[in-house]
Amino acid sequence: MSPQGSTGELVSDWSLLERVVRKDEAALSALYDRYSGLVFSEAKRILRDAGAAEEILQDLFYQVWRTAERFDAARGSLAGWLLVAARNRAISRLRRKTGKTEELDENGVILRVDLESVAAQNVLLDKVRGVMGSLPEGQRQALELAYFEGMSHTEIAEKTGQPLGTVKTRIRAAMETLKQVLR
Amino acid sequence: MTNGKHIPEEDLRLLAAGAIPEEECAALRAHAVECPECAAKLAEERGLAALLALTAPQEKPAATIKAELFARIRTERDAEERNRWPVPDVANKPEASRAARRAWWNWVLAPLAAALLMAAGIEWLESRRLGEELASVNHQLAVLMNERQRTEMMLDVLAAQDTMSVKMAGTPGAEMATGMVRYNPRKGMVMYTAELPPPPMGKIYQMWLVPATGVPISAGIFVPVEHGARQMWMAEVPLHTEAKLFAVTVEPGEGMPQPTGVKVLVGVVGG
Repeated sequence: MSPQGSTGELVSDWSLLERVVRKDEAALSALYDRYSGLVFSEAKRILRDAGAAEEILQDLFYQVWRTAERFDAARGSLAGWLLVAARNRAISRLRRKTGKTEELDENGVILRVDLESVAAQNVLLDKVRGVMGSLPEGQRQALELAYFEGMSHTEIAEKTGQPLGTVKTRIRAAMETLKQVLR
Repeated sequence: MTNGKHIPEEDLRLLAAGAIPEEECAALRAHAVECPECAAKLAEERGLAALLALTAPQEKPAATIKAELFARIRTERDAEERNRWPVPDVANKPEASRAARRAWWNWVLAPLAAALLMAAGIEWLESRRLGEELASVNHQLAVLMNERQRTEMMLDVLAAQDTMSVKMAGTPGAEMATGMVRYNPRKGMVMYTAELPPPPMGKIYQMWLVPATGVPISAGIFVPVEHGARQMWMAEVPLHTEAKLFAVTVEPGEGMPQPTGVKVLVGVVGG
């Protein structure tokens, strides 16, 4: 079955996840089709290695299959968890750390935006890229070094030669701008 | 450290962005686990930071990853079914006999039974763990054997005297695209390579064999990996089909029964 229901309406992540709990492979397939591109692209952006990114992708969806019943929709969104877990695993691998496995119910991730359809994903892609493109260079660089390279504010300060306080301010300001635009 | 106080909003934001040094993260996370208010705020900030993923260049994973995921799921499910704990059949025992045994059980054998159950439980857990490990090894073996079988099949087709080569060229608007098809009608095998950019979001490429008579036959879907190693895809088609041409179209989702999208590559047999 496709992510669209029999009448063509979009099936929510939550409905699909409920079917995954009942071991419905078609539901997992629909979730995979919906989010594999985003998850893979994020992991590959961090690792610059398609094979390693594909391993993370497969492991994450395997974890969804095995532990879907632990996911509590009240505490967060599946899309958010997938993106955060992919990022954490990729950074752990990048920095050769043995990162703790991100459990489905561990510190939820709340997404205030819709990522459940390709159209919604495309709209948001443009919006987020627009925000990042409009940020002052220092803010954008600091945020990208933290999120995609896994650097702490101290490491960013050393790398860029900026005072630690400036780095912190830049990251917070960049996040605040993102929040304001997406609100 | 939070010293029992709520995590300052600016630290939550830095934590979500991944900018807090690892040694300081543990204390903040530990506080968030105990404090629903901070956990909720952190979840919001993490959701915001997660959207940075959308700034990554969007690409599709190889189509084989999904197939491997479901092969892994099925292999483990089969292993679990083999290891399922047997359910004792007590339905047909006479009631009086069962009652008598229950008395013994309760007063004499209960501690022994508990110990045995515990031992059996441990053994079951160990057996399950071994079963999962075995399933994982079986999966890896299956992948390797499939890969070997696939390679042998490819070499067999490539070496066959009656395998034809059809060069594919990009259509107007996709002039840079190229491809090569090897087709053996006797074996019903189509193998091909294609130099194409990643397809648009939510789309895939689909190869078609257009026969001398009848409607196009799908020869598989594929997604090239950008800057990746040169890939070769293969598909089975009905035996002894006389091919007129091969074409690649852009199609939605998991492919279509008949071509519907834009044609990006065409190769005429004998052309």
